[in-house]
Amino acid sequence: MAGADLTGRRVIVVEDDYLIADEMRELLEDSGAEVVGPAPTVQDALNLLGRPGAIDGAVLDVNLRGEPSYGVADALLARGVPFVFVTGYGSGVIPQRYAGGGRCEKPVGIEAITRALGFDDARPVH
Amino acid sequence: MPDVEQMIQRQKALADFGEFVLHCEDLDEILHEACRLVGETLGTGRAKILEIQEGGKELFVRAGVGWAEGVVGHLRLQIEEHSSETYSIEKRVPVVTQDISKEDRFEVPEFMKVAGVVALANAPILLPGGRAYGLLQVDDTEPRDFGEEDTEFLRTYTIILGPLLDRLLKVGELRRSEERFRLMVEEAQDYAIFTTDRDDRIVDWLPGAAAVFGWSAEEVEGKPADILFSPEDRQAGEAEREVETARARGHAPNVRWHVRKDGSPVFIEGAVRALKDGGGSVTGFIKIGQDVTERRASETALAESLQLLRALVEGVPQLVWRAGHGGEWTWSSPQWTAYTGLSAEESQGMGWLRAMHPDDREGVHSAWAKTEAGAPLKFEGRLFHQGEGRYRWFRTRATPVRGEDGQVVEWLGTSTDVDDLRRLQDQQEVMIAELQHRTRNLIGVVQSTFTKTLKGSTSLQDLRARFNDRLAALSRVQGLLSQLAGSERVDFGEMVRAELSGHGALEEPGKVILEGPPGVRLRSGAVQTFALALHELATNAVKYGALQQPAGRLRVSWRLVPVAEGGEPWLWVEWRESGVRMPEVSAPVPGGGYGRELIERALPYQLGARTTYELGAVGVICTIAAPVVSGAA
Repeated sequence: MAGADLTGRRVIVVEDDYLIADEMRELLEDSGAEVVGPAPTVQDALNLLGRPGAIDGAVLDVNLRGEPSYGVADALLARGVPFVFVTGYGSGVIPQRYAGGGRCEKPVGIEAITRALGFDDARPVH
Repeated sequence: MPDVEQMIQRQKALADFGEFVLHCEDLDEILHEACRLVGETLGTGRAKILEIQEGGKELFVRAGVGWAEGVVGHLRLQIEEHSSETYSIEKRVPVVTQDISKEDRFEVPEFMKVAGVVALANAPILLPGGRAYGLLQVDDTEPRDFGEEDTEFLRTYTIILGPLLDRLLKVGELRRSEERFRLMVEEAQDYAIFTTDRDDRIVDWLPGAAAVFGWSAEEVEGKPADILFSPEDRQAGEAEREVETARARGHAPNVRWHVRKDGSPVFIEGAVRALKDGGGSVTGFIKIGQDVTERRASETALAESLQLLRALVEGVPQLVWRAGHGGEWTWSSPQWTAYTGLSAEESQGMGWLRAMHPDDREGVHSAWAKTEAGAPLKFEGRLFHQGEGRYRWFRTRATPVRGEDGQVVEWLGTSTDVDDLRRLQDQQEVMIAELQHRTRNLIGVVQSTFTKTLKGSTSLQDLRARFNDRLAALSRVQGLLSQLAGSERVDFGEMVRAELSGHGALEEPGKVILEGPPGVRLRSGAVQTFALALHELATNAVKYGALQQPAGRLRVSWRLVPVAEGGEPWLWVEWRESGVRMPEVSAPVPGGGYGRELIERALPYQLGARTTYELGAVGVICTIAAPVVSGAA
């Protein structure tokens, strides 16, 4: 994809809809990223985060089978991993404490994800 | 010494006077005749009667003979301490002055000196009971010694005059009183006044009665008084009852509808009194009543409109109140008390604020502050509902009531329960957000479906056909979901049947067998993926499998499988094709394996399902077990 080179980035995708999750996986992989997951539930996502290997960023669906993904966001905050909420809801749903994280509305393109995760600057890759 | 002739003459004078008064009832004529006879008898030609007036301060020359004009009927003398008149009245004795030029006991009034009076005799006129009426005074222009026989004559004369005057004075007073009474009664046009005899037949019919009832005196005199009653009351014996009550107790109230001559109703407020003779027997009745028809009509109209207003104010679901400037309540409707538990007294002034949620009170004050500029009052706030034990939202509105000068006299306000409305609005906001969420997700699904379809397509034409087909399936699912109301759920059996009949697969008898219990309800969140998977199975069967080949058969069976934890049972489905001549194993998988991906990966990922997909020797065999059943709503 033009303008987005995520080579070497490990990105976890948390999204309960298979088709959307798979699309996101493909988008990221097409840009060179390594996708961890995708995970359809909070518990699955936390399990993946508990495995060895650094995570560079996360794409989070807000609503996972009726449960908010804030538990995952908290874990990411604790580790200092950048994340972006991808939501079908309008603005104002996400609690203030995640204001530091990015937020994109569905459907989302890879450029928006890249920007939101801060991968577009000259930061060194792991 | 008195001579016999003189005595006879004086006796005659008294007798003549006695005879005169028998035929005369006029006080002034009688007094004049008395003076004339006394003057004539005593040979003075002058006599007068002085009447005590002004509470005993004046003597008025009431009658007299021999006096110049301007004296009798005009002259008034102050009662002086040192006059013979005063002395005579006070001592109740005749007083004689033989020659006023030699008089040193009394002062003589000036007019008498002017008239040339030289000698005079006073005799007091006493009424029965001893009260003094005045004086009989005889005057002579010559010095004269009024002898004892003269004063005795005068005394006799005044003794006769006393009772006579008393009677005439009383008669005169009675006449004046009667006249006043008659005028009062006849002028009282608003009052129907009439009398009846002991049998309640009309005797006296006064002008007021004629004005109120429309009958003239000639028309009703002698008629029974119950003609004034309504036929119903007459029938019920009300007229008789009223009179009998008055006969027994002396009086009876009369407050009821009566009937005028023309038949129109007239409301009378009055009473009946029994008239009695000296022995106490009832001789008749006097009836006095006021026509209050108009007053009663306006009172009734007012009462009705007040009742209507009251019913309205107390019947509307709103809480109604009245307030002065700044929201100081003066009145609140019963609904307010029923709702908040605060009595009208407790709510007076700013007492009503206690029912308002503490967080909303500031808003109330600022809303009232805005009314200072003449704006109507508007605010929303929570009021405590004592029945539910919680606050509910109310919308309050008030408009100023202005006086004739345009100034605001008071405020009339209503508070309407908008709690349910607000909750619905909140729900609506949630639903709109949910709708947006679903729509955006759907676009994501469409995007992904396109990507996947693109990969498995051999040409643009092929892409178009496949993509449109999958969009149509997706669209059917949306339709299915959007038609559900509230707690309704998609039935699995119906979903399968709809998908297969969409391909025309159910038209050939025996081709397809569906077996499973009805009423298996699916979680709404599971429907879309499940339906898309079924669609891919059906599409593949129609294009290459059991539904394409004449010998092919399809059996779809399903059942509910209980789970150990006691949660909702799982749905177990088997899709089994048979009689299918399978393609070479090396041939590429038609459609890029999209259906297989949905079954083997999407369903486990998204629904936690356990699935198998097998290309058997005689056709596809697929099983799906998933926790997708929705319990009772």
